[in-house]
Amino acid sequence: MKRYVLKRLAISVFTLLVITLILFLLLQMMPGSPFNDEKLSADQRVALNAKYGLDQPIYVQYGRYVMNLVRGDLGVSYNISKNTPISQLVEMRLPISLQIGGIAVAFGAIIGLILGIVASLNRNTILDTICTFISVLGVSVPSYVFALGLSYSLGFKLSWLPMLYNTKLPFESSVMPSIALSMFTMASIARFTRNEMAEVMGSDYMLLAESKGISGAPLIMRHALRNALIPIITVLAPLVVDLMTGSLVIEKIFSIPGVGSLLVTAIQSNDYNVVIALSFIYSAMYIVIMLVVDILYGVIDPRIRLSGDDSGRPGFFERWSRVLGIKKRKEVKTHA
Amino acid sequence: MPNEVAFDASVLEREFLADDFELINSDPNAKTDSGFSSDSYWKDVRRRFFANKGAVVSLVFITVIVFLALIGPHMNEYTYSSQSLTEKNFGPRIPVLENLGIFNGDEVLKTTTGEKIVNGYKDKNLTDVYYWFGSDTLGRDIWTRVWEGTRISLGIAVVSAIINMTIGMSFGLISGYFGGLTDSIMQRFTEINNGIPRLVIVTLLMLILKPGFATIVLALVITEWISMSRISRAEMLKLKEQEFVLASRTLGAGHATLIFREVLPNIIGQIITQLMFSIPTAIFTEAFLSFVGMGIPVPQCSLGSLISDAFNSFTTHPYQIVPPIIVLALLMLSFNMLADGLREAFDPKLKEA
Amino acid sequence: MKLAKRLMAVLLSGVMTVSLAACGGNSAPTSSDASASKSDSSTAASEATPTETTSGDNVLNVMVEIEVASLDPQIATDGTSFEVIAGYTDGLMQMDEHGKAVAAIAESYDLSEDGLTYTFHLRDDAKWSNGEPVTAADFVYGWHRAVNPETASEYNYLYSEIGQIKNAAEIIAGEKEVSELGITAVDEKTLKVELNVPVSYFLSLMYFPTFYPINQAFFEGLESGTFGTSPSTVLSNGAFILDTYEPAALSFSLVKNPDYYDAEDVKLDGLSYQVVKDSQQAFMNYQNGMLDIVKLSGDQVDQVSGDPELNVVGAGYMWYLTMNGNDVPALANANLRLAITNAINRESIVNDVVKDGSVATYTAVPPQFATGPDGSDFSADQKMFADVCADDVAKAAEYFEKAKAELGQDTFTFELLLEDQTETQNVAAVLKDQIETALPGVTLNLKVEPKKQRVEDIQNGNYEVCLTRWGPDYADPMTYLGMWTTGNNNNYGLWSSAEYDAIIADCTTGAYITDAEARWNAMYEAEKIVMNEAVIAPIYTKADANMIKTGVSGIEFHPVALNRVYKHAVKG
Repeated sequence: MKRYVLKRLAISVFTLLVITLILFLLLQMMPGSPFNDEKLSADQRVALNAKYGLDQPIYVQYGRYVMNLVRGDLGVSYNISKNTPISQLVEMRLPISLQIGGIAVAFGAIIGLILGIVASLNRNTILDTICTFISVLGVSVPSYVFALGLSYSLGFKLSWLPMLYNTKLPFESSVMPSIALSMFTMASIARFTRNEMAEVMGSDYMLLAESKGISGAPLIMRHALRNALIPIITVLAPLVVDLMTGSLVIEKIFSIPGVGSLLVTAIQSNDYNVVIALSFIYSAMYIVIMLVVDILYGVIDPRIRLSGDDSGRPGFFERWSRVLGIKKRKEVKTHA
Repeated sequence: MPNEVAFDASVLEREFLADDFELINSDPNAKTDSGFSSDSYWKDVRRRFFANKGAVVSLVFITVIVFLALIGPHMNEYTYSSQSLTEKNFGPRIPVLENLGIFNGDEVLKTTTGEKIVNGYKDKNLTDVYYWFGSDTLGRDIWTRVWEGTRISLGIAVVSAIINMTIGMSFGLISGYFGGLTDSIMQRFTEINNGIPRLVIVTLLMLILKPGFATIVLALVITEWISMSRISRAEMLKLKEQEFVLASRTLGAGHATLIFREVLPNIIGQIITQLMFSIPTAIFTEAFLSFVGMGIPVPQCSLGSLISDAFNSFTTHPYQIVPPIIVLALLMLSFNMLADGLREAFDPKLKEA
Repeated sequence: MKLAKRLMAVLLSGVMTVSLAACGGNSAPTSSDASASKSDSSTAASEATPTETTSGDNVLNVMVEIEVASLDPQIATDGTSFEVIAGYTDGLMQMDEHGKAVAAIAESYDLSEDGLTYTFHLRDDAKWSNGEPVTAADFVYGWHRAVNPETASEYNYLYSEIGQIKNAAEIIAGEKEVSELGITAVDEKTLKVELNVPVSYFLSLMYFPTFYPINQAFFEGLESGTFGTSPSTVLSNGAFILDTYEPAALSFSLVKNPDYYDAEDVKLDGLSYQVVKDSQQAFMNYQNGMLDIVKLSGDQVDQVSGDPELNVVGAGYMWYLTMNGNDVPALANANLRLAITNAINRESIVNDVVKDGSVATYTAVPPQFATGPDGSDFSADQKMFADVCADDVAKAAEYFEKAKAELGQDTFTFELLLEDQTETQNVAAVLKDQIETALPGVTLNLKVEPKKQRVEDIQNGNYEVCLTRWGPDYADPMTYLGMWTTGNNNNYGLWSSAEYDAIIADCTTGAYITDAEARWNAMYEAEKIVMNEAVIAPIYTKADANMIKTGVSGIEFHPVALNRVYKHAVKG
């Protein structure tokens, strides 16, 4: 187990290095520089590039960046907040994104699960259609329209909630952004839950459980949902990273000091360090969450399904199960 | 019928040489059992699909929208880029219906000094002018632009989905089939691709390359092919150990035959389902790019750019955002329901539950 | 390029007898009728009960569109940063409501007879918020930072080219020591500034934050890199004190400075800033009483037309088309350029597309920022060049026929470069339509790029036609006219005229420097050359459509330097 985690971490470090290298190269190819402004003369641009070492060859820049990264130095911002260490920006803004993203994930997952379960238990009835309709509708309208609609109704007309993020009222100001942000999660989870539950309900062991006289909530919760949970977690995990790292759209509309809008502004203003630093954090979170998910598989389903399904990551299952010494005992899916 | 004869697994670990086997029954007159209908599976699929009302309705909606996207822009005298600043922000006006008091060009303008009804057609005395969905802030016909935008959005989505499918499917199948080091390297590659925020890749690409249809498709392909490859790989891992593959391999089938002739037909249902799911995703991603200002360049339009343009007058002239939003929502709903319907049609087990 | 900058420097630096400091600036139109309009406030907006006011009744809630980029006065370059820095810092001079430089930290000054040496006498009661007095050494320290090549201050050209402070150019270029800058602390309260050549608008530069003082002991006592990142890492000597702030904050606040030497004149208890990037959200918050001043987009102006709370103020900068005659042979033809400039319907663009009060512009120097010796706006008469620049399709067709004959070519395809803002894209779409309709045979293909990339492309001459903008650096027509001299950085079309260069030289260093009238007339001559050849096609001068709550008055708006000054603002 320990060896497995260590090995995974070592691979992750390598992956992160490659990711920063790719970003470096992409940014290098990007037209314009952080210092293209009408008011700046050619001399001044040269001076500014020299000041930040942007006149150096790309491998020197990359080498220096990695060295600084090892020391925990993410560099400074060129444009958005001139000369501010990015670690400071991240320290202030990431918690807010995490908070709103966290609420959104929880909200989306819970509502999505409920919709999905209801739909799967009432398959091909009007209830099923309504649940599907609600969940898909959530992703049918672009989130900025949805967010402004929320703000107009709940904030402006009814004055229930603050329309803009207020640092003094963190919870109240997080409600509307979190709802707007959770729509996609809700829809995905609802759809997956419905399909997975349907599949699980049709399996032999559910038949066995039913024939043993188990029914109602215990049947659904202990037997069906537990088995359906793995693919759901697999779908949820990348969404968690996406939500936690902020959303440009939601942050822009609600004036939230999060990292999502920072990232897009940074890309548009060639603020290289901010782009790389935020992408790095995203990648690191992604890799860590994927690791956690793989460990969670073992907790939820000791059998560890070797057969992949449409959302599984069997590459990891295989290695993982080998390390844990788990043998596959049963195929959940059988194909004709 | 699956072969019931017990199979000694240790056979797999032996090494066979090419001349270890020879085909004993090479008699050209040998009878082949052709008493089964080879398309029964597809017939079944079709039957199950058409039994699903939601999916059928979705298919009808999609057909109608595609039809309108093709002919809609040519149904009146306007073109998607022709503008008439004297006729900007006109409310929707439709012949016949206008006599019923709806769609007569009236627009309720909410101002800080109270609501007032404005009607550009009456104010400017334009009795013969009809903008069925109204006109936008530059005096362009929203009807024409919506269908033009639908055409572009669908085009982007379908082209990128098909390319995704081709790349993702091949990648996943190859990775899953060969396993071992090949698989490890290929999986590391997808992990790196996944590890970079999609937003960053997409926006950087849009900046580096010339904005336009092809660049948007490329940006969508780079970020979306992975889910397709994951599915194909998972299916390949499951199927490659099955008897029919083994049988084919024993008979000397090459890698390409095994991958594309034996395994692929068995997972085509899943692939098509995923293809249908990836179309709405692509439409939505394009809409996001438009919001960031990196969508299809002006004066062309897509559903996304229409919505993000109209978004700026959401509180002033709300009627402008309604048509593209409704078309987008219908497309999203229809493609999702269609995909669900296909998934169930392809997988009979789901239906029985 | 270096040579070009030097030349520019010389051109700009001559004696100008006209007091530029007395130029330009519009004051808030609300200030006079504040009490009158207070009584008849009947809009829905002002009746709405504020759901929550976090910071007291006498605090002005201000909307800004973007975050503060830097609170370091020598690093900041954008309007928002300048506005906030100037809110809590005073320089030697400050802006009055008309944009004139009036005494601030310097209570008086002497100018030597040759016009080369300024001696500023600092007031005794000016204090930093840590209790230390503001001294001449603080200015010396701040100015040294600005010209130090290590700082790489983006606005250091205000010291060298524009301000002509002795040795500034050499220090910036790394050829001289920072200590050689022409600024000396004679004693604690006396500051001596030496110039290369007389610069008559010098005093009006003193309100630019780039010239603000910094307390050396305080600055050096901070951990490196933390200056200006929180309220405790800045010192205030102005009307307000920074109360809450963090880098790139979306909301932050200033409170009244009780120890300010002019504290009696400051009526507000503080300022509460809120960054709002979506204009519809901004307006909803305004209507709910959460914000007292917001900026509207053109589309929203429809909703508030006739509302007394709507205030349109000039934003200073001009949007224009630059045409690359250097790399595109057809655009080297003056008649083709004239055809394009006459094909544009500017009235329609400002009234139907931009809609926020921006004014159609037919002169190379935009209106509303530079006032002449007789006190009138340099570009008040927009019909001055009507024979070569008008919304006149017939004239455009005439020029086009000439151009076609001269070039022996009937069809032209150009790429119009623009940046990815909504307003710019709409304007460009309309320009394309107008020009293609008026000049059959011309095709404009739009090319949208992010701003940084667009600027890089025009700086490198990698464009055909570009929709670009220029904001004035100081209140004199030369901030525009200087652009089209041979070799200037911002002469994107690389147009060149010996006659034009000669007039500009005369206006800045030569014959006309002692005669304000003659200089003014010579600048019209120069402008005429630019317009006759259609070096650029001016389109419109930007304005901001602000909503200001009834009862709020005294906010001073300026198109140059400090866009909004709140020192005298009153909230009813």
